[in-house]
This record gives sequence, C-alpha cells and structure tokens, in this order.
Amino acid sequence: MKLQTKINIRFLTVTFLVFTVAGVLFFFALDKVVNQNIHEMLESRKAYIILNLQQNEPITDLLESPDHSIFIKRVEKTGEYKRFSDTLAYDQEEKELIPFRKMTFSAHSGDQHYQVVLLQSLLESEDLQMVIVSFMTGLFGLVLLALFFLNGWLSNKAWNPFFKSLSVLITWKIGENQAVSFDRTGISEFDQLNSTLENMMQKIQADFVNLKEFTENASHEIQTPLAIIKSKLEMVLQDKTLNDQQHQRIHAAFESANRLSKLNEALLLLSKIENRQFVDSSEIDVCKLIQSRLEYLEELFALKQIEVTVRLESQVTFNMNSLLADILINNLLSNALRHNIEKGKITVLSENQKITISNTGREAEMDVSRLFRRFAKQTTTSESNGLGLAIAHEICNNYNLELNYHYLNGMHNMAIKQKS
Amino acid sequence: MKILVIEDEQALCETIVSYLEEEGYRCEQAGTVELGSEKVNLYEYDCMLVDIGLPDGSGLSLIKELKKCHPETGIIIISARNSMDDKISGLDLGADDYLTKPFHLPELNSRIKSLLRRRKFEGKQELIIDKITILPENRQVLVNAEPLQLTRKEFDMLMFFVSNRGRVLSKESIAEHLWGDFADSADSFDFVYSHVKNLRRKLLERTGTDYFQNVYGTGYTFIA
Repeated sequence: MKLQTKINIRFLTVTFLVFTVAGVLFFFALDKVVNQNIHEMLESRKAYIILNLQQNEPITDLLESPDHSIFIKRVEKTGEYKRFSDTLAYDQEEKELIPFRKMTFSAHSGDQHYQVVLLQSLLESEDLQMVIVSFMTGLFGLVLLALFFLNGWLSNKAWNPFFKSLSVLITWKIGENQAVSFDRTGISEFDQLNSTLENMMQKIQADFVNLKEFTENASHEIQTPLAIIKSKLEMVLQDKTLNDQQHQRIHAAFESANRLSKLNEALLLLSKIENRQFVDSSEIDVCKLIQSRLEYLEELFALKQIEVTVRLESQVTFNMNSLLADILINNLLSNALRHNIEKGKITVLSENQKITISNTGREAEMDVSRLFRRFAKQTTTSESNGLGLAIAHEICNNYNLELNYHYLNGMHNMAIKQKS
Repeated sequence: MKILVIEDEQALCETIVSYLEEEGYRCEQAGTVELGSEKVNLYEYDCMLVDIGLPDGSGLSLIKELKKCHPETGIIIISARNSMDDKISGLDLGADDYLTKPFHLPELNSRIKSLLRRRKFEGKQELIIDKITILPENRQVLVNAEPLQLTRKEFDMLMFFVSNRGRVLSKESIAEHLWGDFADSADSFDFVYSHVKNLRRKLLERTGTDYFQNVYGTGYTFIA
C-alpha cells in the first residue's frame, strides 16, 4: 500500500469518526434546547392562565380557545399535578397531522378546581432542527472533501524529497562506480536522512571495492605459491631416477595441489559472481551454446556409452554475461556427465524459453534444500569440489533466472527459465 | 631459440627457465618492468613470457613496448588473475596466447612450440619424429608417406606428446590440455587412458614401434 493512501485512509477515518460523534452530540444538544424552550413557553402560558382563572371565573364547565390550543374543564377536587406528553393533532392551516407538545395541569381559584390542557405546535422547532442538521451535514461533507484534497496535496509536497531519494536509491547499483548525490531539501529530517544515506552508500562502495581488491589479491597470492608447488612437483616427476613408490607419492601431492588450485579458482569465481563483478551482458543463444559444448564433450559421452538426446528446436535466449553463460552450461553438463551411469542417458530439451537438462544417475532423488549449497556433497566422488551447482545457482540468481531441480522416472532434471 | 621470461616470483621463474632450458631454449629472466623493458630494447628474442602483475607495474606496458621495437617476437601472457579484462586487453595489444597460473609446464612448453611454429615457419613446418611425420597446419599425420587416420582429440594428444618428448606427462595435464575446464571430471582421466591406448595401438600397428611408456600411477612418456 502506498504511503499516501495509508495516511489518507487513517486521516479520513479519524476525521469521519470525530465528525459523526460531534454531529450526534450536536443533534441531541439542539433537541434539548428546543425542548427546554417549549417547556418554558408552556410554563409561562400556564402562569398566565392561572392568573386569569383567579381573576375571572369561567362561565361554563368546559372552555376551549379559538385556536384549539387551550382547554379548561371544571373538575371535582383533585391534587396538584402537571404532565407533559406528545400528541398529533389535525391542523387547519397546514391541513395535516402535526406534532404537538401537550401540557396537562391542575388549577384552582377559591374552591373551584380545573383541569387545564395546553397544546404547543412543534412544527416550527422541528423545521428549525431539520434546517440546522442538514446544513451541518453538508458542511461536514464539504470540510471532509476539502481536507482530503488538502492533505493529499500537502503530503505530496512534504514527501516529495523522500520520493526523490527513493528513486536515487532504486537506480543505485553497487559496483557501478557512480557518485551518489542527493539534492538539499531544506527539510532537516530529509537532509539528515540523505546525508546518512550518502555516508552509508559511500562506505558500502568503499567496502565493496576493498573486498573486491582483497579477493583478487588473495587469489593472486594463493595462486602463485600453488603454481610454484605444482611446477616444482612436475619437475620432480620428470626425474628418471625416482622409483615407482616415490613417483606415486609425489604424484599424490601434485594431484592435491591441483585440486586445491581448482578449488581456489572456483571459490574466487563464486565470490566474484556474488559481488556482481561481471557487469557486461548480452543476449546469449543458449541452444547454440549447449550444442557447441556437447560437441566438445562427445568423446566423454561415447566413452561412458551415454545416449544423448538433443531437442533444441525452440530457441532460448537469456540476457547474461557470456563467460558466466559458458560456466553455467559447463557446470550443468559436466554434472550430468559426472553423476551418470554407464550406458545412461542425457536429454537436453528446450521449450517456451526453458532449458531442461536431464540425466540418469547413480543416486536416487536429491535433497533440493541442500543441492545448491556450497560443499553440500551428496556423493562420495572426490573429484567433484561441491561448488559446481552452487556456482550455477548463483549465476542464475544474478540474472533473474530460476534453476529448478526435480526427479522424475529415474531422471534428474535441471531446468532453467526466466523468473516470472 | 631465445626466450625472455618476465616473472617476479623467483621460484616459479627458475622452474620455468630450467624446464625450458632442458628443452634446448636459451632463457633470460627479468623480475620487474624496468629490467624487462631494458632487455626488450637491447636484445632480440623469439618469444616473451610475461606476467601481468609485476611489482613495479603492469606487464601490459611491456607488450606495448615489445610490439614497437620487435613486432615479430611471440608473446605469451602468464597471469594469476583469471580476468577476462586482462586477457582481452592483452590479446588486443598483440599477445599471442594467454595462460592462467597455475599452469602445467608441459602445457606452457607446447604453447611455446606451437607459437614458434606459427611465427617462424608460418605453420608450414613438418615435424619428423622417427617414422612419424606431422603436418601441424593440415592436422595430418603420415607414416611412411601414407596418412594415418586420427580423431581430433588423438591428434591434439599426439601434438602434446611430441612437444614434450621424453617428459612424464601426468593424466591431469593431458586432460587439461584436451578439455580445459572440463578436465576435473574423473571421466576425462578414463578417456585419457583409453585414447592413449588407441593412439599407441595405431602407431604401433603402422610403425612397429611402441613410442609410449607408462609411468605407473602418474601418466605417460613419449619416447622417440
């Protein structure tokens, strides 16, 4: 959810709640005031009538005012009472039933007792209430609308520097030595944020360069002594005076040095990929690449009597570094070869921008969670260094490709496709 | 044949030089760009091996210098940095080949030989080893003036053996020569074994001589 949408929703919810509560309270207060007003009016009429009754005795037992708002009835002696009630009565002028407030009370003058009924129309006060309520509702609606737009505009303006910084961050790529700079915003929080970001990014950039230099230097420093060890051992192996046993021992040392240097190379490659040091990329025709690699390996397949089936009719292209594409295909194909059985099968299939390399193998289904981890060897073959698939996986990650493994009908399948 | 080896690692430099001297080359060493540049300007060499990372600069500058005064000299870069950039810029400057450290000495030897063959004889040289005649340019092998059919890999293997005559060639170096990065597959050692067997049989049938010698547990030697 966008920041502004979120702020707007909260803001509008709170405003709406406040307005609703205020509106309801206002309505009741208004109602109470109007009621009080009417009661006061009735009370004053009551006092007037009592005064009149005491001065002029009525002639008849039942008196009614011409506007039907006062009824006076002579009654037997009763106690003092006063009652309010609401009622509807037909109004001649309005020609409809309208609400009235009715006041019934007792009065006496000398030993004469009366029951007096007063009626007060509520029509005007209801009309007044109606007008006030609808006016207030309209006003609330307008204020809400105005606040909504004002808030949108204000937050847009206030957050603008933030969005600018965000777009700088999104386009920033570590390793592409671009200078980062944020404009001064004049808002202290954003300036603080930007300067912190700037410092952080410079530090990250510097660390990255350091690390890159370190890995390169470390490999250089390791490769050179290894080269010396290997070449010296190779020289010793040329010695004609060595006996078989000495030969074998030196050869074992030579073999280990060889493996060590391959391991070093692979680790270096992996860290280079992880550090995204392969920047150039181009459209790679993967089918063509696989075809040429397969030709290269022909003899090795023939030796193991592996039946290779190639179905690469549908063209697949990935946008990636050409060296890494080479390594990716190399690793997957040599994996399919290395873990295969005598007279086994390898199938390479392309369809819908997806490449699948399948092979028969000595092992049953592999554990997917461990398969792509470094040194997670699931076999005991010593010639594999346990980095091949980790490298392949890292390469795929780098180019938004998906490397999937599944096991079906005795075939191990590795599939590469673009992440959707 | 004179070769200039520019490598700052003394131990490695000595090994390279002693291996190459056993092959009959005359070698000179330099450990810095300064010394290298002095030698390049003063003398003439048939081939220069140059390391990129030298203590006082980049070997790439020496390639530029050499190309200016002796363009006919062959250049092989030996670098510990397996970096595409170095490789591309080196080859762009006119280097003929690129080897990544650590490399096998027989591999270096065979690269030098093939480079000198291309440079000096424009590849038209015939190699005559006992009863075998090799025409490297046509990738053809003749025995008693009659062609011997070899597969592509068998031919590469024969060239590698011939370049390193009398040397013990380990299975690793043969496999790496033939497959490069694929060589770490154990199957390639089996392949080396079966193809040496085939090559050996083919040559034995046609020449009546067994040129190969097993070195137990290590590899093979080509003797002629």
